[in-house]
Amino acid sequence: MNCAEFRTRLHPYVDGELPVSETAAADAHGVACRACAELARSEREFRQVLRRQPREVAPDELRARIVSRVRRQARWRSMPGRLFTPALAAAAAALLVAVVMPLARPTPSLVGALVDKHIAYAQIDRPAEMASADPAEVAEWFRRRAGLRVTVPDYSMAGIRLIGARLADAHERRAAYLLYEKGMTLLSVFMVPAGAGEVDLPGTRVTYRDQQYMTYERKGYRTVSWTDGQAVYGLVSMLDYDALLECADKLRWERASQTRL
Amino acid sequence: MTGWGSVPQRAREFEEVALVHLDALYRTALRLTHSRAEAEDLVQDTYLRAFRSFDRFDPGTNCRAWLFTIMRNLFLNRIRNHGREVLEADGGMVDVVGTPELRPGGGNPEEEFFQTVLHGDVDRALRDLPPTFREAVVLADLEGLSYREIAEVIGCPVGTVMSRLSRGRSLLRRALGRFAREHGYVKEAE
Repeated sequence: MNCAEFRTRLHPYVDGELPVSETAAADAHGVACRACAELARSEREFRQVLRRQPREVAPDELRARIVSRVRRQARWRSMPGRLFTPALAAAAAALLVAVVMPLARPTPSLVGALVDKHIAYAQIDRPAEMASADPAEVAEWFRRRAGLRVTVPDYSMAGIRLIGARLADAHERRAAYLLYEKGMTLLSVFMVPAGAGEVDLPGTRVTYRDQQYMTYERKGYRTVSWTDGQAVYGLVSMLDYDALLECADKLRWERASQTRL
Repeated sequence: MTGWGSVPQRAREFEEVALVHLDALYRTALRLTHSRAEAEDLVQDTYLRAFRSFDRFDPGTNCRAWLFTIMRNLFLNRIRNHGREVLEADGGMVDVVGTPELRPGGGNPEEEFFQTVLHGDVDRALRDLPPTFREAVVLADLEGLSYREIAEVIGCPVGTVMSRLSRGRSLLRRALGRFAREHGYVKEAE
């Protein structure tokens, strides 16, 4: 091996990526040629500098979150009649998620009003006041615009695409609406403030993954609503309750993990 | 719907083979995004995506390269979707120097200080590298991936990995030499 050959192989040589025969030839050349040996030494030293860098480790919290999500996903996958199957994806679906911020005793008609709003939005061309597919951007918009900390769930894995958001009134309260789309069909997410005390939501009580929800149907739309004490949340959709509950669960989960942070 | 309290077998298998690479993925995500929040998001999405396709994962193949590949693709998609160069985002820049999660280096304080300073410089120099060179250098020199693994992650021939590494390292050395002169560690040009 001559100097030129040695130098073209310098990096793989130092990285231990040369075939054995070439490594031996390069070793031999290094013994014979001081300049090339020096080059190799300097490259090795530089690798050492890089490898000696302190190595950051992932936060424990991130590890825990990943483990918990993976397990949830595994459980979900093992469920009979899984949610977002291709057949379901093809079905026309409109989903409305209403997240109601602290509200003084929301009445059954609050959920009804949200359904009406959803129907109205489904009929306009561009229902979003602020158009964006980026959850972080939408959350930031609410923060700037109304000082609201809104959780913007990402349903993209289920083929439900975020299209934007708007602020509107529901029962004389400011409500945050998130709008999604599945295929050509509108899906919206709402947020309305709630006060302390009892919250009455209409419908039938159901338990899904250890959490309580109310399911309620109006004008052909299904709704799922719940409260976490500070807020009332609801989903309205043409999707079946399984899908709605799955979306609700995801929102709840994201909300909880955001609050923890 | 059974066994809600127990850990599904599939999840346990996945955790065993995939979670050992969490630190490496996180470090690389930090270097890609320059933001802790984005890095955590990216790593989390990577694992969830990986788990979803875990059924198709062949136990004989290289899990680390597989995870890095998924993460890289997700990252590139994000850049495309957001229509911005996340690599250069300056909001929420991470100052990796002196962060609490750094593993203590051991050795004497002077040496540790030197390493820390250098670490900051390495970070800065890496950030200035063109992304294609940076990714090759990070994967090879900071995370210890082989040429073949890097080729798999990047989706290019091994020869391309070699030329990117060679070019990237030489740019990196030059930048570090410049910083050293700025700090006054080194007086004259290399």
